[in-house]
Amino acid sequence: MYVPFELEMPGDLAGALGALAAGTGAKTMAMAGGTNLIVDMRAKRERPDRVVGLGRVGALRGMECGEEWISIGGGTTVTDLLQSKEIAEAAPSLVESSRLFAGLMVRNTATVAGNIACGSPAADLVPPLLALDADVTLASVAGTRTLPLDEYFLGYKRDVRRPDELITRVSWPRLPQSSDQSFINAFYKLARRKGDAITVTGVAVTLVVAGGVCTKARVALGAVAPVVFRARDAESVLEGRALTPARIDEAARAAAASSCPIDDVRASAAYRLHTVEALTRRLIAQAWRRSTDQ
Amino acid sequence: MSTERTIMLRVNGRDEPGRFPAHRTLLEALRQIGHTEVKSGCEKGDCGACAVLVDGMAVDSCLTLAWTAEGAEITTVSGLGDLDALHPVQQAFSDGGAAQCGYCTPGIIIAAKAIIDRHPDPTEEDIRIGLSGNLCRCTGYTKVFEAVSEAAAIMRAGSDGR
Amino acid sequence: MNRPNIRFRQVGRPLTRTDAPGKVTGRTPYAGDYVMPGMLHMGVVRADIASARLVRLDVSKARALAGVACVLTAADLPERTASTDIPGQVGQKRLDTGQQILVRERVRYFGEPLALIAAETRDIADHAMELVEIELEPIPGVYDPLEAMKPGAPVVTAPDNIVAERRIRKGDVEAGFAAADLVVENTFRTPFQEHAFLEPEVGLAWVDENDVVNIRVSTQVIEHFRPIADAIGVPHNKVRIRGALVGGGFGGKEDLTVEVYLALLTKRTGRPVRLEYTREDSFVGHGKRHPFILTYRTGVTKEGKITALDVTMVADSGAYVFLSPYVLLYALVAAPGPYRVDNLNVFARAVATNNMFTSAFRGFGALQACAAYEQQMDEVAQAVGLDRLELRRRNFLKTGEPMSTGFVPPSAIWTDQCAERAWAALGEPAPAEGPRCVGRGIACYQQSYGRLTFLHDTSEAWVGVEMDGTVVVRSGVTDIGAGQVSALGQIAVEVLGVTLDNVVVYNSDSAVTPLAGTTTATRALYMTGNAVKQAAEGVRARLVDRAARAFGVEPDAVDLGDNLAFVVDDPEKSMPLVELVRTCGAEGIHRSELAMFRAPFTDFLDPETGQGQAHPDYAYGAHAVEVAVDVDTGEVEVLKSVAAHDVGQCINPAAVEGQIQGGAQNGQGYALSEEMLYEEGRLITPSFSEYLMPTAMDMPKVECIILESRSGVGPYGAKGIGEPAMTPVAPAIANAVADAIGVRVFEMPITPERVVRALKRRDEAARSGPVA
Repeated sequence: MYVPFELEMPGDLAGALGALAAGTGAKTMAMAGGTNLIVDMRAKRERPDRVVGLGRVGALRGMECGEEWISIGGGTTVTDLLQSKEIAEAAPSLVESSRLFAGLMVRNTATVAGNIACGSPAADLVPPLLALDADVTLASVAGTRTLPLDEYFLGYKRDVRRPDELITRVSWPRLPQSSDQSFINAFYKLARRKGDAITVTGVAVTLVVAGGVCTKARVALGAVAPVVFRARDAESVLEGRALTPARIDEAARAAAASSCPIDDVRASAAYRLHTVEALTRRLIAQAWRRSTDQ
Repeated sequence: MSTERTIMLRVNGRDEPGRFPAHRTLLEALRQIGHTEVKSGCEKGDCGACAVLVDGMAVDSCLTLAWTAEGAEITTVSGLGDLDALHPVQQAFSDGGAAQCGYCTPGIIIAAKAIIDRHPDPTEEDIRIGLSGNLCRCTGYTKVFEAVSEAAAIMRAGSDGR
Repeated sequence: MNRPNIRFRQVGRPLTRTDAPGKVTGRTPYAGDYVMPGMLHMGVVRADIASARLVRLDVSKARALAGVACVLTAADLPERTASTDIPGQVGQKRLDTGQQILVRERVRYFGEPLALIAAETRDIADHAMELVEIELEPIPGVYDPLEAMKPGAPVVTAPDNIVAERRIRKGDVEAGFAAADLVVENTFRTPFQEHAFLEPEVGLAWVDENDVVNIRVSTQVIEHFRPIADAIGVPHNKVRIRGALVGGGFGGKEDLTVEVYLALLTKRTGRPVRLEYTREDSFVGHGKRHPFILTYRTGVTKEGKITALDVTMVADSGAYVFLSPYVLLYALVAAPGPYRVDNLNVFARAVATNNMFTSAFRGFGALQACAAYEQQMDEVAQAVGLDRLELRRRNFLKTGEPMSTGFVPPSAIWTDQCAERAWAALGEPAPAEGPRCVGRGIACYQQSYGRLTFLHDTSEAWVGVEMDGTVVVRSGVTDIGAGQVSALGQIAVEVLGVTLDNVVVYNSDSAVTPLAGTTTATRALYMTGNAVKQAAEGVRARLVDRAARAFGVEPDAVDLGDNLAFVVDDPEKSMPLVELVRTCGAEGIHRSELAMFRAPFTDFLDPETGQGQAHPDYAYGAHAVEVAVDVDTGEVEVLKSVAAHDVGQCINPAAVEGQIQGGAQNGQGYALSEEMLYEEGRLITPSFSEYLMPTAMDMPKVECIILESRSGVGPYGAKGIGEPAMTPVAPAIANAVADAIGVRVFEMPITPERVVRALKRRDEAARSGPVA
């Protein structure tokens, strides 16, 4: 690979933020796992002058699973997610998407923050995190700010993060699980093969059900628009009601209606529209069935 | 131009110096200092032929910058065992016909070692998910699955015996 | 059939291959692992438009970059071409398969090389490649072979883009159709396929003390030293190819790849040069599998007897000819499959386009024919209302019957047994659940092993016994991962009565190992295995003769085994092999033998009727699968995959299973997920993240049923398994998908999207109801 740059490897978060803030005039990029950035540099899509490696910033790792909130460091790897029993119980969709995420070696280094920050509409951790109502915390030498992940993306590979900012944490409220309410949280990755493939259509669904009524619905869609997004029309069809096949169908159609996919090497827009509808219908129907079985 | 720096890589238990620019990947660096057992198949994390263990964790060395591996314990397939003392995974692959052209084998054996370290008694699902980042064009994976199961069984028997 | 009850000592056992320990420890050096002092690193600058005129190519900035040793463009080279040589090709006029080494004026495909750069480091070479200034003026191209045949189409190969045309005219097809109760016609399309060997093309070249250009290269064919010498303008004895264990070939390392570039630059610079393709280079650096459009029109009686078959084939040969005429010939010969068709017309054409050039790939045209004829058999079965297997049973070609070319294959034809065994092994069907439909499919095949007999193929091997009783085999054969070398060793030690750890096979050096021909066409075991067996038997005869004199018995009373020579009926009478060899040495009895095995030599097929002998012999077998199809998404999961092949005789059963299981992966990818997509000839799937071969999560465990008729023309009655292993896999999957969803996808790969479209077609047809 021939893409000359200077590499800094700060040992703590302050050092990392300082390094990002420095380097006036030089294009500086943060590198978490490197599984996107190194590929992009090799292909000459990215030509940074300076790279700030985050691998030695311990503060970016670690998961806190509290009573109310779950908070994970931006440097949490996909493997960390996959191996966490807490996450498996609290956010099954995130574990399912981790399971199907690239291959073992990439899962071992790719991070949650990197997957968000790459801004790809096919980023596999993002639909589950959106369906969990996750917040992201951004830090820079100027301070930190926390905003809903839902407000993070501005367009295709465009986001609110400034070049001197890092995604330090991703947090979401625990879904309610008690005798009178329960949640279902699921993800389906449709791709051209099962192992190590880029998503064609990704659907994440969260339903909270209490007393036979869907009290909360989240439907997040991947790879069917310039950004991963919440299908709010579909959600509002579902919330506050008992679900019937007709209602689920209406939500699925709403999900497809809110998608604006493109043709690419993996699939046509028409196929993506077809499958986003079919998979939204399937995931909601399965979730509703499971919630009423419980 | 990138700055070049002499760094010490600890490979298979030995410190080995090398002078590299910042953009040099661990794959390129290892091969440059003679570790040609680490194979280059795609240089972008699609095939797994270049997998090595870094502090016990399997990574694609093509997606790792050499400088970032300084100070870590790097293990290549040659560090697991040698001709006169094969590692159980190597033995199972050799005996079971799991290596054909053999070019993907160094990476697959590293992934297999990592799978067994994590799951001493791996299910078929554990093996499949663990190997999904390693492409093989010769074997159809059937004998690879069998060899990983066999190696895990040998290693369990070995650890029970001690 | 003749099945002698041979008791083998080494052959037929699943021995650990001789190459395995080196591979599992990383000790084995591949061609890319060699370096030399003072070595330069090369890069290839390529065109990024598929059809264009080269207006300007300015390499001055690249040449000026510090550390750049040499930049070559066509302007620096004499007008020579690099042809795909067919070693030993006689018996017909050599086809003009030459292509320009570097683009002089006209770019004909995406990725065609424009300039070669050699520099002190790879970084510098990469940097210099960016400094080359290229101006290309697009020229209208043609990207579809059917379009390319139309009058007025852009001409890629003069005069009419048709680079090869072949026919079979057998029996009376019109009468055959007249006798039919039903005629079934379908058109099938098969796609490009990338070999996707894990080791990209790589080599290291240097000039030695004899002014010989040496090239250590990953290749299936060391005998390319001849066209390399022609391309760089030196005598044939001034190029030496040294192979290495190859990191996968599948036909993709059958043509020249990096050799000519390396030879040019080492000659020019006088320094060692190394060139390793990136994966992206590899995708445009070697020929692909030919896409075919195949139209099958089958006449059949109510009883399910095929009375006539008319086949039209069009193959996309891409921008250069390469092996297209031969691939087309294989498809022609294979057109009816393993079925008895007495009234047969086949018309096959290979057509030039501005797509990537196409050439050899495991299955070599016969596979594309199988993809069509086996889907057609299912369609015919459905049309006549017969069980799929029963229709096949009623038409199988049987041992001793003439095939498409009128030739009677010399070996047993066990298609029927293979089909029954594979089908039965599928066992209980998996349940259909929710959106998942389950279906099954089977495909049978006929695939040649050994090269076209009009090429007059030969293979040489040398076998000797050292003074300590160890065995040496020398043969130019290349080992591309199937265990070719180990199998040769196994044959030599079988004959000489020692164990596999006592043999070393020196191979793959065009200057010092006897030329064995190519490792292609499922011929290595057949040809070189026979040569090694002959050579070893020559040595054995002399050893046994000497031992018999020592024992005072006739030579046929003596056997060799367990490193001993002994009298069969009186094993007490024995002598260590070492002692026997030393005796021979002391007495000047030759302990080695050079043998040449010759395949049958024939004339070319009759050009009008296509009748005659095309190959030495054929292999037969079947592949059966069970799939689940998600009717919402069109995703196909292969649940079971079972192969049954008559391999004649296993030399190493583990290696045979490995071939079958790998063939199942290649075939499954071909059927379902592997797709090379082009936009105006520009490849838009140039890496393993877009070109998707099956991973460990996609492949079922593949079950192998190995039958041994011991009737083949290889050593000990062996047939070949390299190509046959893959040939029937894709149509079996296509048939299973059609079985699952009740409608066929006529174009591979059967992507989820195509499945969904077929389902829509089915549902619309059902809604509109039966036609009145």
